Amino acid sequence: MLKGKSICIVCFFISILAITSCVKDVDFEQAENLTLTPVVASSVVYTDVEASRFSENGMELEVVRDSIANIEIFTEQFVIDNLVRTELILEATNTINRTFGLQVDFLDDSETLLDTLTFEAQPSADGNEVITETTEVYENERLEALKQTTKLVITLMLFPSTDGSTLNENSTGRIILKSKGLFYLNVSL
Amino acid sequence: MMTGKGLIFIFLMLIGSYVSSQNKQLLFGFNDIPQSVLINPSTSLDNDWFVGIPLLSHVHLGFGSSGVSAFDLFADDGRDFNDKLGSVIFQLEPNDFFMATQQLDVFSGGFAFGRGIEKDRYLSFGMYLETDIIAYHPKDYAILAYEGNASNIGRPFDISDFNVSGEMISVWHVGITKNVNEKFTLGARAKIYSSIFNVSSTNNKGTFITQEGQNNLLIHTFDIDFSYYSSGIKSLADDNNSDLSNDIKTLRRRLLFGGNLGLGLDFGFTYRPSDQLTVEASLLDLGFIRHAKDLDNYAVNGSYIYEGINPLFPEVPDGQTAEDYWNEVADNFEELFEVDSTATKYTTWRPTKLNAAVRYSFGKQVSKDCNCLAEDGRYLNAIGAQLFAIRRPKAPQIALTAYYYRRIFNGLQLKATYTMDSFSFTNVGLGMSADLGPLNLYLLADNVLEYQNLAKSRSASVQFGLNLVFGTGQ
Repeated sequence: MLKGKSICIVCFFISILAITSCVKDVDFEQAENLTLTPVVASSVVYTDVEASRFSENGMELEVVRDSIANIEIFTEQFVIDNLVRTELILEATNTINRTFGLQVDFLDDSETLLDTLTFEAQPSADGNEVITETTEVYENERLEALKQTTKLVITLMLFPSTDGSTLNENSTGRIILKSKGLFYLNVSL
Repeated sequence: MMTGKGLIFIFLMLIGSYVSSQNKQLLFGFNDIPQSVLINPSTSLDNDWFVGIPLLSHVHLGFGSSGVSAFDLFADDGRDFNDKLGSVIFQLEPNDFFMATQQLDVFSGGFAFGRGIEKDRYLSFGMYLETDIIAYHPKDYAILAYEGNASNIGRPFDISDFNVSGEMISVWHVGITKNVNEKFTLGARAKIYSSIFNVSSTNNKGTFITQEGQNNLLIHTFDIDFSYYSSGIKSLADDNNSDLSNDIKTLRRRLLFGGNLGLGLDFGFTYRPSDQLTVEASLLDLGFIRHAKDLDNYAVNGSYIYEGINPLFPEVPDGQTAEDYWNEVADNFEELFEVDSTATKYTTWRPTKLNAAVRYSFGKQVSKDCNCLAEDGRYLNAIGAQLFAIRRPKAPQIALTAYYYRRIFNGLQLKATYTMDSFSFTNVGLGMSADLGPLNLYLLADNVLEYQNLAKSRSASVQFGLNLVFGTGQ
């Protein structure tokens, strides 16, 4: 008699658990919609050149150029698949009474020119800091060009002065260039 | 360097691998159930001998998540999944965790013995499989993957937020319970652990931070000390045979002391200052496992400050070219994120558990013959308070339980618990042990209020088992 009763109680207990236990109102397939949209900020190039350095043997250097080859970051498969927008932010601080032009050429492995970025740093008439800023946006075709880039050529040009004066070894002031990139990713599973 | 997809995969694994409370508040002190002696080796079992039904004598499954339920993330409420994920990422703290545990008795048994009629000792033994996984919320990694660093200038990302450990082991054990005198019972259990697999990444340090720079617009500082250890996985993952039987052989060998081995001890005491008052405590899994075989470890170690590429233009005297600079930067990054693969032997400590309880028994059985209290009758009721603590990678987890125990009649006992822990303050548990002849059957479940929709529950655990028990109630 006792046994019968305890079996009943056991069965009741188990069935209460079994009947009431469930997982409802949830949809685990939502995880398939997962999209991550982080924005990566990174320093890019920077330089700080004194005015006197634009003079060599009494001659003014009108163009200085440097290049970086073997850049792999833009052609990484992850970047090609997921980079949807890029902004390059350039900031120049000029205390030289001359306009500078900055040109960045984007090239691929076969030295084909894909894109060119140009930017002018305004002159400082009185030696005070003149800050010029620009934001270059890379979307669509321009972004595709960026994704093939393996080489950058950076050119700093000293534009002729309005009064014919030139920079010499005693010239004061400096041109400072700073930059950062904002890389917008869109990563879906 | 880990790709974005890799990070997402790991994150989803963490969300998916729910874990359970290891607290066995329902089983502790429930001496009608033979397996209660595994929670406290000083628990005096109420039988002469028992043998567990193989593979069925103790099955324990559980999960727990300290800050979020599946419902919070996967509710079918029309809200955008990415928004919900975002709020979960930010709402949880790095000390929030997900855990899962599983225990399966392969075999177990025990018997009373001792000189004279009063058998004052009890020997219990067996072998079980245990799986235990805990993963903390990798908050800063998740924020970095979700938002990136652009909107987090000046915010340090903590490398230590990645904290995961998991293992599957087989445990061979033998324990003895001894009545020292009428008031005092002591117990101890020796364990040999054979690790089937282990992963452990619990000692990561360092930060990554992006700040406004001096020389350039931004400055990035990396200071990374990351390590991941594993044993028992490489040989299973590496072999290219599609034949599962080899893997099964390997696993079988590891169950039988063929894995990485460890030793452990359990201790317990039960003290009865009066007929009705009991104080009991146990310390379980005071032990370690030494991982020396089948290792696969990784480390990422280094620090680096990056401000950008500095072209000094070769035309300008003394200039390092941008090309040189870039190569140097690339080398530095490569060095920083170089994954060192090592086979360093390592030791893991078992999650040691502490149980302690005070119990007050009352209400003796009324004898039918004389309508008076039966002289030798046992108390039918008990109330008690329990403390549970478990050592975890970041900080111990603690739970407090109040309970009521009732012997309905000989052969049916119930226990109800109310527990406050990391998962909730409203965890109500129900347990029952029934004897049908020599067959003892028990079922213990906590968080029963949540069973209407387990998706909303942050933790739940179920234990059940079948034993053959002889000589009860003597």
